[in-house]
Amino acid sequence: MRTERQIEKIINDYLPSIGNGQETLESVVEKFPEMANELRPRLEAALWLRDARFALATRPGYIHDSRKYLETKIEESQPKGWLGKIFRQHTAQHWVFNIASTVMIILLLALVINSTALTARLSIPGDPFYTTKLFLEDARLAFTFDPVDRSNLHMEYSRQRTSEFVELVLDGDYDQLPAATTRLESEIIASLHALNRVTLADGAAKQPATAGLQHTLSNEISMLRILQQSSPQGVNAEIELAIQVVQAGVMALR
Amino acid sequence: MPGSQDQDRELIRRAQRGDQHAFGDLYVIHAPAIFRYLFAQLENCMDAEDLTGEVFLKAWQSLPKYMERGVPFLAFLFRIAHNTLVDHYRQNNRLEQQAPDEMDGYHEDGTPEPVETVGKLLEHQKILAVLSKLRPDYQSVLTLRFISELSPEETARVMKRSVGAIRVLQHRALAALREALNEKQ
Repeated sequence: MRTERQIEKIINDYLPSIGNGQETLESVVEKFPEMANELRPRLEAALWLRDARFALATRPGYIHDSRKYLETKIEESQPKGWLGKIFRQHTAQHWVFNIASTVMIILLLALVINSTALTARLSIPGDPFYTTKLFLEDARLAFTFDPVDRSNLHMEYSRQRTSEFVELVLDGDYDQLPAATTRLESEIIASLHALNRVTLADGAAKQPATAGLQHTLSNEISMLRILQQSSPQGVNAEIELAIQVVQAGVMALR
Repeated sequence: MPGSQDQDRELIRRAQRGDQHAFGDLYVIHAPAIFRYLFAQLENCMDAEDLTGEVFLKAWQSLPKYMERGVPFLAFLFRIAHNTLVDHYRQNNRLEQQAPDEMDGYHEDGTPEPVETVGKLLEHQKILAVLSKLRPDYQSVLTLRFISELSPEETARVMKRSVGAIRVLQHRALAALREALNEKQ
């Protein structure tokens, strides 16, 4: 391998000098007497190939003329219109891959978002996805512009907070109860504000909206009373506080 | 020596966007080497010229795929050239071609061509005769290295071998060529 590398280097280094007359085959071989037997035939062969290269060169003007011909052929085969040009830049495989991967990513994202939304919807305070649930509720509210719809949404969220409270008691997760009560109170206050906006926007809609909220709050009180009767004594105070919060809402309605 | 890789890269980028003049520049840079490679293995100059054009038209059509493969442009061209040559041999069986003595040196109307052209044709026939005595891989390595002036690395890419293997092959091929020349003389 070493000899081969050395001979290759000698050939590369001295072939141009032999070509321009600075060296001769003999003068190069004399410089490397230890490998003369191996070098001489290979150098002779390389010199013959170098001369052959000139004999195999293109005829004068061929490259220039054929370039024009090639460019004309390409011009003729060029796709017309911007769509064709875009398709020319990428292969069919490339397009199939791009479209398929985009569709896959969209489907995957939809699946992930859907699963997250579903998990978040079933979560209760203390769950990792509970913040997502509140965020999704806020997002839904942000895109609800009709006062009646907003009022209904607040009522639905108020029912959600009560259900969460019940679930926390049933799960024995009492540490979360004060925060859950605060959230229930906030939701009832928000429902009352939403009801005021309904009254301002549409007087006729006030009556059914008020009745709806009253019905919702009455149900919540009933639910909490039943819960109070079936729960341990230690959690009675927290449930009582929640009942008072809902009752305050009923009072405010009256 | 064929053009630098940076220059190639810029021209390829433009050609991929549909700029046929950039591809024309690539043609000017690389066509002589491709032509010599083909002419060293073909009986006549016209075929070598036609196939050179064909190689570049195929390269233009395959240019969108080129980046995906990540092969240096010169190796990409020589692979196309090799495949085009194989197709050409398949389509026109060499044995069926007109014997060189019957056509070289004369126009269709029977008048002799200029002395220079005839001399070049005879020289070409001699080169073909000597090279044809060598094994196909010896022919390829010598043609790519000395006729088309590719570097050992580029030759290795075209022939799908390691640089070390190319060095060994070249060493043996040069010795075989010298022997073939002795026999010819």
